[in-house]
Amino acid sequence: MVARLLDLITSGPRPTWRSLSVVAILLLLSACGAREVVVQGNFPKPLMDPLPLTLGVIYTDEFAQHEIFDEAAGRAESDWLVKTGDAQVEFWNTLLNGMFQEVVQIKDSQTLEAYKNTVDAVIIPAVADLQYTIPLHTNIKIYEIWMKYRFKMVSLEDVHGNENGDLSIKPDQYFADWTLTAYGKTPTAFLQSDEEAVNLAAVVALRDAGANFATSFSRVPDIAAWMAEGLQPPPAEATDIQRLEND
Amino acid sequence: MIRVIQGKLIAGLVLAMSILQGCVNATVDEMTFLEPTEGIGDASVVIIGRRHAPDYETEFDFIECIGDHIRRGDNSISVLHELDFINMMYPWFEPRTAPLRTDDIEKLLSQERVANRFEELKLEYMIWIDGSTVETNSSGSMTCGVGPGGAGCFGFGTWGNAADYEATIWDFTDEIEVGRISANTSGQSYMPAVVVPIPIIAPVQGTACDSLGDQLLKYLSAKM
Repeated sequence: MVARLLDLITSGPRPTWRSLSVVAILLLLSACGAREVVVQGNFPKPLMDPLPLTLGVIYTDEFAQHEIFDEAAGRAESDWLVKTGDAQVEFWNTLLNGMFQEVVQIKDSQTLEAYKNTVDAVIIPAVADLQYTIPLHTNIKIYEIWMKYRFKMVSLEDVHGNENGDLSIKPDQYFADWTLTAYGKTPTAFLQSDEEAVNLAAVVALRDAGANFATSFSRVPDIAAWMAEGLQPPPAEATDIQRLEND
Repeated sequence: MIRVIQGKLIAGLVLAMSILQGCVNATVDEMTFLEPTEGIGDASVVIIGRRHAPDYETEFDFIECIGDHIRRGDNSISVLHELDFINMMYPWFEPRTAPLRTDDIEKLLSQERVANRFEELKLEYMIWIDGSTVETNSSGSMTCGVGPGGAGCFGFGTWGNAADYEATIWDFTDEIEVGRISANTSGQSYMPAVVVPIPIIAPVQGTACDSLGDQLLKYLSAKM
């Protein structure tokens, strides 16, 4: 059907008009498809005195491949797919490496075994919620992204490796569990597409998350207590085993 | 022959667009003290936009415009690039963490790495710009069409812009505020169209940039 339509329109005598018609049809068709943003950005290393800790970090599959899909509400709108996973991992690696003396990534049983007795604690970040708005939704000339993170910290001894290499943690073994919000906005700009603007808003939101995390980490009550107690996590009582999302 | 006429038409339009500009009203208020009479020497200055308000943010290109204005006026003044500075100092100058009062400077400098970075940069003055340019009104209509014989527009549009900015100068060495300069500008732009639209733009933001830039240059430069 589309090929026939293209044929009909492009069978004119002037190649310029043909090209223009093809471009116009492609533009029309592109407006109907899903809009996809793979968030990309350059993230600076934080300028701060590193905390004297060796921190393990577990990026679950859900976190490392995080994306949000928003179905179009009407015919005038498009579906939106915003993929933040790669940018999340890149950003948090940069931030944590600047904030702590040493950071190691715990991926499986092998890395868990390799870093035994060297890691003070393990942090597990998760994106609890992500919302975005574009001018089409709000009639305000601003693109916004709002994110809510949930961080959990656990002692390395409480992370268990299974025979298949997967990691599991008893749910009440976390000695710190807190949330943090981040916000990024960017105004509309001349010659800037919706995708570019959403990407920029996401990068601003990630930077804001980092600023919030860096300035509030030591003030989280459970973290402050843990650091004051000489980095010994309080004893846990739970026995249930919860598999991590990256199983 | 047709090409010659087309060329002349385009040249005429470019000339008309460069000559025709809407009128702009500008008001500048200044209150500064402890002026560096000998200039700032080999020290540097950074100009940063305030972006913590929920409903507006100071435009990056406006900050760049003021920086360029100062550099053009006195090339001995070292004005740091805003984005480079914010990245170098991350996360201390993000909208959430940027110091709002001069009292916050001491807290910032209590961190060894931050203090060392400021020393490396030889930062003497930090200038905060707060404000934005908004569209105040718009009216008129314009219709454009494309046909086999060509394309054209017909109609008339007009819109107003207002820029409201305030520059706050911090002396980073003495950790005090040493001046405030504000610039308020407004103007009406027009776009008549008979086949070809002719924009008559009021350079509202540009005038605000020049006004603030001139005053800051007078403050910082020994040449002025």
